[in-house]
Amino acid sequence: MTMTESQPASAVADNPPAAPSAAHGLYDWISTTDHKRIGRIWILVSMVLLVAFTVLGTFVGLERAEPATSGFFGGQNSYFQMWTLYRLGMVLLVVMPLFIGLATLVVPMQVGSTNIAFPRAALVAVWSFLLGAGITIVSVLVGGGWGALDGVTGDEADAIALTLVGTGMVIGALLIAAICIATTVVSLRTPGMNLMRVPLFAWSMLVASAVWLLTLPVAIANLILIYVDLRGGPLTFGDPEASGAIYAQIAWLVEQPQIYAFAIPVLGVIGSVVPAYAKTRQADHALMVVMVGVFGFAAIGGWSQPFFFDSTEDVVFVGFGLLAVVPVLGVLGGSLLTLFRGEKPTDRPPAHLHGALAAAVLLFGAVASGALRVIAPFDLAGTSAITGIFNLVVFSAVAAALTGVWFWSPKISGGLVAAEDGRIALLTLLTGATLLGAADVVAGFYAAPDLLLFETGSDVVDPLLIASAAGGFMIAGGMVYALGGFLVSFRSTNPEAGADPWDGHSLEWSISSPPPVANFVEPPARVVSESPLLDSSEPDTDGEDA
Amino acid sequence: MVVTTALPAPVTRRPRTVLVGAMFASGAAMMVYFGLLGIYAHRRAEASFSGQGWFPEGTVELGPPGFIFWTLVLSVFTVQWAVQAIKNGDRTNAMWAMAITALFGAAVFNQLWFIINDIGYALADGEAEFFFFVVNGTFIVFLILAVVFLALTMLRALFGSYGPRQSDGIAAAAMFWNTVVAMWSITWYVIYITK
Repeated sequence: MTMTESQPASAVADNPPAAPSAAHGLYDWISTTDHKRIGRIWILVSMVLLVAFTVLGTFVGLERAEPATSGFFGGQNSYFQMWTLYRLGMVLLVVMPLFIGLATLVVPMQVGSTNIAFPRAALVAVWSFLLGAGITIVSVLVGGGWGALDGVTGDEADAIALTLVGTGMVIGALLIAAICIATTVVSLRTPGMNLMRVPLFAWSMLVASAVWLLTLPVAIANLILIYVDLRGGPLTFGDPEASGAIYAQIAWLVEQPQIYAFAIPVLGVIGSVVPAYAKTRQADHALMVVMVGVFGFAAIGGWSQPFFFDSTEDVVFVGFGLLAVVPVLGVLGGSLLTLFRGEKPTDRPPAHLHGALAAAVLLFGAVASGALRVIAPFDLAGTSAITGIFNLVVFSAVAAALTGVWFWSPKISGGLVAAEDGRIALLTLLTGATLLGAADVVAGFYAAPDLLLFETGSDVVDPLLIASAAGGFMIAGGMVYALGGFLVSFRSTNPEAGADPWDGHSLEWSISSPPPVANFVEPPARVVSESPLLDSSEPDTDGEDA
Repeated sequence: MVVTTALPAPVTRRPRTVLVGAMFASGAAMMVYFGLLGIYAHRRAEASFSGQGWFPEGTVELGPPGFIFWTLVLSVFTVQWAVQAIKNGDRTNAMWAMAITALFGAAVFNQLWFIINDIGYALADGEAEFFFFVVNGTFIVFLILAVVFLALTMLRALFGSYGPRQSDGIAAAAMFWNTVVAMWSITWYVIYITK
């Protein structure tokens, strides 16, 4: 007689998030709870905004390089509005939503979940973001913005208050989306996947979300203070004598060290793309996980606002600036080691590898420039080096996000985005961003001021500003090209993409392209390492639980 | 002959999604509030250092804010009573506990409204007054959010959504409530005790 004992399925299926249903049509796009659709909305919107803001950046750069002849914005105050819109918009309306879109789409699949945590909240986040972004942009165009160089008048106060409301809505929406992503990584991982086994992109998004949740609420606190002040307070911020005081209060969002917070996922994208290309495990995965965490710590910047901080020679500020270099070097070193250890494909490298390298070069340039900026004898405080570092970080993040779009395109659109389009767009971005960022950093050494709208008369600074503007022009062209390639691919999916065209290692590559509605037809097998597709047949030897 | 014997279902690890999400949301809410309080404390320190002073002598009383603090301390016990009751499958006690907690919330709102109306300041009177209204006003917003969260949880509990195996919603509401209590505890010390 043979007796077998079978264990039934779990009585409580781990309280999974509700699996979305298949949906079609406009209403279903508006009301969908499928994380893939929500992610696509984020990506599409932020790519359109990316093109718009890079074009705006080009005009700002041209105006700065030739203020006497260009005159695009019709005055110092309008220039200031567009300059601040470019800075805050690139971070809050482009980089963050791009990464959030990518993470909303990819992270649940990477951790083996059927959907994102709180899918309805994720949906609310994307539409609130759209509303907030619309309010912000329109209010700036009607004379609002984040302050005025010549003091805030009564009419301007109303428009500025509207900009603050829009900004607050945008930040709130991004925070809700970050909560959904972080919760997915923390509590919806498949059995066996402890935090050290989470794919690097998902881990970097958890770290980024945690840093955003710690720091961006402080920006909301700033916005509340400024708003109430404008609506009847003692005019601490709207005082005509305190020109630009509103922007000065929230400028910490787009300066060191906080600006690095928006580039944390860059490390995750690099850590996902390189091992797949090398067809081997990530070298020193545990060290990479720690390095991403250290970079996140070095990017916490809510304390560096005017209320708490008044000296760029402060030891904490200097320490954070220098510390940021270490994890970036660590991740880049680990990636190079992985490339060295892995296979050496003879084919032309795919577009996403070019993108990962571009993002790595730009990020290293940014943190290296940032380290120079905190060294007091160089005296870079208040110079154009701040703009240079900002642009290097932001376009490193853009390069990484576009790399992610190309890499995960089978999961986004079901097909592959044309590799040649990707190479051209990403290499144009690398060249343009290097020119844009490096020129400003070098001009900083010649004491070119950060907010600049006059001919310097310098034989060095003026050509550098023209070079910087040319870099912006190249980026805008590259981004238009990238958006075009992406949209064409979206409309004509390549059926030959297959589940895993890149020999990826994480769970999203185990499911078909495009993924089915609930992602996994069968629950994923127990995960025993950070590369489950390389060892799905191996037993769990260490007995570690999730 | 093959005999198949069914074993009991395996003990599963509950993801606690709602609780984790509430933890992140509470952390973000706390950062908004502590960001404001930090700026308040910094500006007050600067004003004191420069000899300007802060509130006019005798205008900020300690009594009513103290009542609020002790009311909220009591509410910590009642909200945890709700969590424990639902874990024990005692829905009636859980409902009572949440109702009493919400009542404490209404009492706190009433006391805080009294303080704001009684203090005799206007928003534009000066920096101290401006910060006083912003910080207390923001606390009222978070208090209302906590009461609404608790009320929605009560409604769901009333319709049987929670029980001994699924108490995360009530635990999440309790976590947010305790965050609001922590906010006032710091406010009480920073604004009212140290003035």
